[in-house]
Amino acid sequence: MSWIDAVIAMLPEHFLLAGIVGALLLEIAGPARQRSALAVSLAAVLLAAASAAALSASGYAFAPFSGHYSVDASAFAAKAIVLALAVPVLLISRSAAGERAFSVLFLSSLYGVLLLLSSDSFLTLFLGLELMSLPVYALILVAFRRPESAEGALKYLVLGGAATATLLMGVSLLYGWSGSLGISAFEKALASPDAMAAVGAALIIVAFFLKAAIVPFHTWAPDAYESATAPVTAYMATIIKAGVLLAAVRLFGTAPLSRPMADLLAVLPLASIVWGNLAAMRQQSFRRMIAYSSIAHAGYLFYAFLGEGAGRFQAVTFYVLAYGLMNLLAFAALPRGEDGSVRDRLDDLKGLFQRQPYAALAIGVAMLSLAGIPPLPGFVAKFLIFRNVFAAGFTLYAVLGLVGSYLGIYFYLRVIQYLFMSTEEAAGPARRPGRLALSASLICLFAAMLIAVFPGWVIDKL
Amino acid sequence: MADSALLNLVLYLPVFAIVAIIALPAQRVDLVRGVTLTAMLAQLALAAWLYMRFDASLDGLQFETRLPWIVSWGVYYQIGLDGYNLLLVLLTAFLGPLVVAGAFTAIQKDVKLFYALICALQFAMIGAFVAQDLFLFYLFWETMLIPLFLIIGIWGGERRIYATLKFVLYTAFGSILMLAAVIYFVYSLSTTTGVSSFAFADLYKAELPLHVQTILLAAFALSFAIKVPMVPLHTWLPDAHVEAPTAGSVVLAGVLLKMGTYGFMKLGFPMFPDAARLLAPVFGTLAVVSIIYGACLALVQTDIKKIIAYSSISHLGYVMLGLVSLDLIGVQGAVMQMVSHGLVAGGLFLMVGMVYERCHTRELAAYGGLAKLLPLYSVFFALLTLAAIGLPTTSGFTGEFLVLLGAFRAAWPRFLQGASYPLVLSASAVAGVVLGAWYMLWFAQRFLFGPAKAPHRPFPDLNLREKTILAALVAAVFWLGIFPDEPMKKTELASRQYQQLVAAERTGTPVASRAGAVAALPAQPEPEKTR
Repeated sequence: MSWIDAVIAMLPEHFLLAGIVGALLLEIAGPARQRSALAVSLAAVLLAAASAAALSASGYAFAPFSGHYSVDASAFAAKAIVLALAVPVLLISRSAAGERAFSVLFLSSLYGVLLLLSSDSFLTLFLGLELMSLPVYALILVAFRRPESAEGALKYLVLGGAATATLLMGVSLLYGWSGSLGISAFEKALASPDAMAAVGAALIIVAFFLKAAIVPFHTWAPDAYESATAPVTAYMATIIKAGVLLAAVRLFGTAPLSRPMADLLAVLPLASIVWGNLAAMRQQSFRRMIAYSSIAHAGYLFYAFLGEGAGRFQAVTFYVLAYGLMNLLAFAALPRGEDGSVRDRLDDLKGLFQRQPYAALAIGVAMLSLAGIPPLPGFVAKFLIFRNVFAAGFTLYAVLGLVGSYLGIYFYLRVIQYLFMSTEEAAGPARRPGRLALSASLICLFAAMLIAVFPGWVIDKL
Repeated sequence: MADSALLNLVLYLPVFAIVAIIALPAQRVDLVRGVTLTAMLAQLALAAWLYMRFDASLDGLQFETRLPWIVSWGVYYQIGLDGYNLLLVLLTAFLGPLVVAGAFTAIQKDVKLFYALICALQFAMIGAFVAQDLFLFYLFWETMLIPLFLIIGIWGGERRIYATLKFVLYTAFGSILMLAAVIYFVYSLSTTTGVSSFAFADLYKAELPLHVQTILLAAFALSFAIKVPMVPLHTWLPDAHVEAPTAGSVVLAGVLLKMGTYGFMKLGFPMFPDAARLLAPVFGTLAVVSIIYGACLALVQTDIKKIIAYSSISHLGYVMLGLVSLDLIGVQGAVMQMVSHGLVAGGLFLMVGMVYERCHTRELAAYGGLAKLLPLYSVFFALLTLAAIGLPTTSGFTGEFLVLLGAFRAAWPRFLQGASYPLVLSASAVAGVVLGAWYMLWFAQRFLFGPAKAPHRPFPDLNLREKTILAALVAAVFWLGIFPDEPMKKTELASRQYQQLVAAERTGTPVASRAGAVAALPAQPEPEKTR
């Protein structure tokens, strides 16, 4: 192994590491360097994203730590997408003031996601998963302003711990069964009739369900989403979800599912779709609504695993891209209260079009796309997933899933109704989103339009 | 190809207009209106030019554009004009400027957004008509929902939120099942033929077992029947019409409802011909029920807009009857009826809007003797009423008469063979004509004649803008009524193609069981399915 290859293979990670070190040094230098911390992390993320995209385009593939960590073109593509999604998150984090440790924690968590996307063994997988999650517990607490923050963070921590324990139990069982820590053991276990293998695989799947907030393991999500500040919620809803799902794709590989496994992977996500969409209808808080919507979207994402082979990775990656862009667009455009904190009640959105037309249009586009209404990218993403499910022969599940997605249309439209059709004014004045948040929303909008008009351009690259 | 570029220009002109509208300052309301109207008139001029250039003697697509779009799925950006969509594109382009001009005084709030949404709607509607690829069609089909959702929800009447949500949730439910059918259809074709294609031309060659065809057609038909709307899926329409602003009602009645019948004609029936023939008695029954039930409901309404809304249900029943008759004259009549209804119902809604702007009520009881108060208005209203009834020399006559003629021509041989049901259906449809004359004339009598009364008197008669709009409409109505020959020539080949496609057997099953399928083609309806 030449050291040059090791450097190149982990180039995105190295850039992030440099960013973390830079942010730490700035922290030592003094508290007055908030702006530069943001600039440093932005530069790190941009460089990492650019390098990942370039390496993906060049088709570079290498395994610097054979059996534990490997990269290829599609892994780089997924990394580039996750890193690109991190850019708007950073841009909107500027307005959430007083988060000194934000940059360090954020970049560390992102590093964990990158590890996840290259992991070949359960060791790296576990490392990535924990490195991704631990900073987020802290991030929720960093902007400790409301008493509920502690509750939300604690719930997230406890259930995250439960997920870790479940994962470790499953991994131990698989290790005992196969004698290997490679993630290919999981693929073999899926096809095996052996009870120990099946239990191990099922436990690992449950751990991923917990992390992705699939019904009935979803209860932490609304509280955690509501407790965190807007950038952290946006981060959890988009990048953490993307990381978990892309790691799951890596784990599942391309093997077709056996029938009972497929049922497990269809029934709970279907329940998530239905329950997430139903519960979202009743929410009065924007972030709780987004939490339930993300539960439903996790359901669609796990539906992609019913499909076969390479289609899984393609469908999940495209979906997290479209879904992430849309969530970030909505969060970037949300109006802010007097103190700069994002206003959260849905009622605050009433008549927003009259006061801030651009923000209202941006949120409206995001909602329609999340609802999966064409010509927005959410539609193509959903189409891709359900096409694979139909192709794999699960016609009934596909139809039920589509009908479940119909249930979701109502609450997204309700937001639009508040934005455009309400004549009453929201209570209290609201500030416009800052310039950085505005640019973040423009980036998301532009990227979303691009993948809506040329979805093939992205799909064929995956 | 200069000509195909022109068709693209027709399609994208509204998009350019949207960009221009966004760039204009919000205070310059007149400029916004002017830009939109100019774009719409330019679109109409181009569409008319394409109509004249359209060669009636050529089969298949003209002014075609076909570009690869999502290569790995076999999705193409394919648009073109044929006999199916030619008149409907022209109708859409014709109503566009009228809608825009008609809203000049009625819309005073959020003018920029309103005209941008009208343009978006226009774009989506033309797009759905010219799309020749199922994926592209579905995109446009769904895109249409959003502008109208906002138009009704923002500028509508008191119960606008309820009405617009009902409209979207009804149509979206149909669409989601159609989406499932689209994906299943294309996928099952790609497994049998090895080619993944969404092109209509390829889908017309699909061979599927009868039960699969039936399920797929049912899913497509649900979506289309909600849009038409056919009884019993019609309940969203009166609410949407009553609450919508005039422009919304005109587009809804004028173009959007035709999406449903166009969908049946271009997609539903030709793609699943065996199922279409199997279910033809069901669709025929629903069509006749729509004709009569819609007319009966129109009789008892007290809200002017509701009368026209229910008359739309009745009139589109004729279109469906013409389509399922599978007779060449009936199919051509269906096309003419679509265009005619677009002009007449669109015109009537515009006229209701004009009187509403003056008097602010839609209660029929509040009006009377408008012939004395608004003489010129009443003349135009009477002309459109006569066209709605289907008086000879108006477009309504061409459509209804041809449909009924076609239905009888198709039913008579069946009757001689001993199947009396098609004949009963056709005869019942004639009863609908009588009912139609009754409710429209009674409506006109109460509205225009009798002792003069109206709220908020005095008010001015039509101004120049309104006169121009109505004169254009009435001219079109008479053009189609007196010279139907030329447009019908241009749609004839497409109607023949439709007839052949639906008559073809494409179950892809052995001859023995195919014979069974034909024997199972009953002239009797299945009553439980009609409910």
